[in-house]
Amino acid sequence: MTTVTLTGTEADPRRWLKAFASQEALLAIAVIGLAIAVGLYNPRFLAARNLSDVLLGNAYIAVAAVGMSMVIISGNIDISVGALIGVLATISGTLAVNGAPAVVAWSAALVAGVLVMALQGVIIAYLRIPAIVVTLGMLSILKGGLISVTGGKWITDLPDDFHLADVEIFGTLPFPVFLMILATILAALWMRYSASGRAIYAVGGNAEAARLCGISQPRTIVMVFALHGLFAGAAALLYATQLRVIQSTVPPNLELTIITASVVGGVSILGGVGTVVGSTLAAVLIAEIASALVFIDVSPYWIRAVQGVLILVTVIADILRRRRMAGA
Amino acid sequence: MKLGLAFVFLGATLLAGTASAADKRWDGADDLPVNPLACSAGEANAAPAAKPYDGGQATNAPDKAGKPITLVDVPKLIGIGYFNATSKGMQEAAKALGNVTVKTDGPTEAKIDEQIKFIDNYITSGVDGILFAANDPVAIAPVLKKALSKGIHVVGYDANSTPDAREWFVNQAEFNGIAKSMIDSMAKEAGEDKSFAIVTSTFTTPNQARWTAEMWAYAQKCHPKLKWLETVEAQEDNNLSFNQATTLINKYGDKLAGLFGMTSVATPASAEAVTKAKLCGKVAVVGLATPNAMKPYVNADCVKSVVLWNPVDLGYAATYVMRAVVDGKLKSGATSVEAGKLGKLNVVNGSEVLLGSPFIFTKQNIKDFDF
Repeated sequence: MTTVTLTGTEADPRRWLKAFASQEALLAIAVIGLAIAVGLYNPRFLAARNLSDVLLGNAYIAVAAVGMSMVIISGNIDISVGALIGVLATISGTLAVNGAPAVVAWSAALVAGVLVMALQGVIIAYLRIPAIVVTLGMLSILKGGLISVTGGKWITDLPDDFHLADVEIFGTLPFPVFLMILATILAALWMRYSASGRAIYAVGGNAEAARLCGISQPRTIVMVFALHGLFAGAAALLYATQLRVIQSTVPPNLELTIITASVVGGVSILGGVGTVVGSTLAAVLIAEIASALVFIDVSPYWIRAVQGVLILVTVIADILRRRRMAGA
Repeated sequence: MKLGLAFVFLGATLLAGTASAADKRWDGADDLPVNPLACSAGEANAAPAAKPYDGGQATNAPDKAGKPITLVDVPKLIGIGYFNATSKGMQEAAKALGNVTVKTDGPTEAKIDEQIKFIDNYITSGVDGILFAANDPVAIAPVLKKALSKGIHVVGYDANSTPDAREWFVNQAEFNGIAKSMIDSMAKEAGEDKSFAIVTSTFTTPNQARWTAEMWAYAQKCHPKLKWLETVEAQEDNNLSFNQATTLINKYGDKLAGLFGMTSVATPASAEAVTKAKLCGKVAVVGLATPNAMKPYVNADCVKSVVLWNPVDLGYAATYVMRAVVDGKLKSGATSVEAGKLGKLNVVNGSEVLLGSPFIFTKQNIKDFDF
């Protein structure tokens, strides 16, 4: 009885400590702490231009990680997203060079993203096939299909108005960064306060309890994948419009970087736990580390090792926390 | 707590990566012997060690010296700008020679099994010579040897086969030739005593490592004041290349006067990074790239030199080489061959004909190319 009143009290130091120790807070501290540490070694790192470039060049990973986080929280996984982003970028670019208005080219990527992911969601939810198998199959289809259709030919001569990533909001904020922040905030609020958003946690945390509460598990999973497709489409647009060339290939290891952002962001690989604020902060941290390695004269090859350490540490911490909770 | 561990790790990597010696090769260069070319065109180049002829031989080929011949060209694939350009060069050569008919035919995808079928069909239907750009140097060898055994002459260009499966190969560019063009362009555009950085695929990618080593050797010899800052890896990834180039620009600021792109991915991405940083004219971008990807930057005067070879000349030279083989003018032991408007081309590496100096795409000529 006493515990109930205690946790309800704002002044309770343990509650404050708990908030401070949340994954999001730790990540925010890490992002700032790393910036200061590298800034001491090389002050140029802290130049506004560099910090903005780090965000600008990697915002698409954070945007895709928002959708990936929803998928993982719902108790699923998607390893086809990197290949899908490559395909969507190519579709959008092909339309643009063939004279389609920019809005049409952009919309096509979003619509195709939703369709492909919703299809996967249907197969996973209604045919009850594990997500890892379905998305592995889709990965091969997209990867093989892309190289067969394009022959690896690059898309060049993209029209100027296609370059969404060059747009600046309020004259200063680059569109990719704006979209990253907007997508994160909207998704976070929706997942926390709406019934359909809460359903994602319920389905991923305890499917049986969710069913008893009247939540349709299959419908929730299809919805999650469709939304994931929308974020993948948005990420593909940022990816495609940042440069003047679209490579028409699948970006190497992109799905792993996106999953890493989600997992390091505190999204439990077992489902039911995590926030998109965490995954966005983690995406920023990973990008910051990659840039920092160059500033402190370390081979960027280390980025993979550092990412690996981050994943292992986060997952081990997650498992230990669950065991402790189960034991208590 | 968990992130603390990661920082310990990061700290350890920091200590591990900072040592560097003054006169060692640049990062990303291999350790193979280097052979830098002469600094100015007038001087003689050090003669590379002569290698005996190691190509194959067409058996009992009919003597068609001076007579009309029919050739087929089987590139890696058809329908792309690059091989459209080589094909155009072949037609130009055929027209100039007057006694050659050449037709380009091949797979629509760069697939070795398809390419083998095309060559096999032309062996059956009968031609005097086959020109090829191999999708796979080893897998293509048996069908080429079959052609040689039927008295059909075989000359490769762009992508070689094992040497004994063809008579000659037209080599578009040697490593030291590319290296000289790259370093000379950088010294001219950035300045003799300025600093530059390199964006490459990985430190161990064979071609890039070879070019980097030859660039290092040529710079030591001919532009000793040009200062290398660092080499970063960017795989063959567009966005990573862009991020790495941007990071270099932010890291070095005014100190950075030039960027080398070592891959056709890294060069446009570096040019984009310089454009976005509004440093066109202040940071020179020199690199290997294809013209289409570079047109926006070259036309905007942000990039002045794109180093590659001219595929039209490559196809032209391959046709002249084939004619010389049929006429008996290019045989084992020859040191050069006449190639029409390209003049005399040198024999290198036993059974290869070197196209010559690399081609530099500039604002004036880049519009003539579409690949």
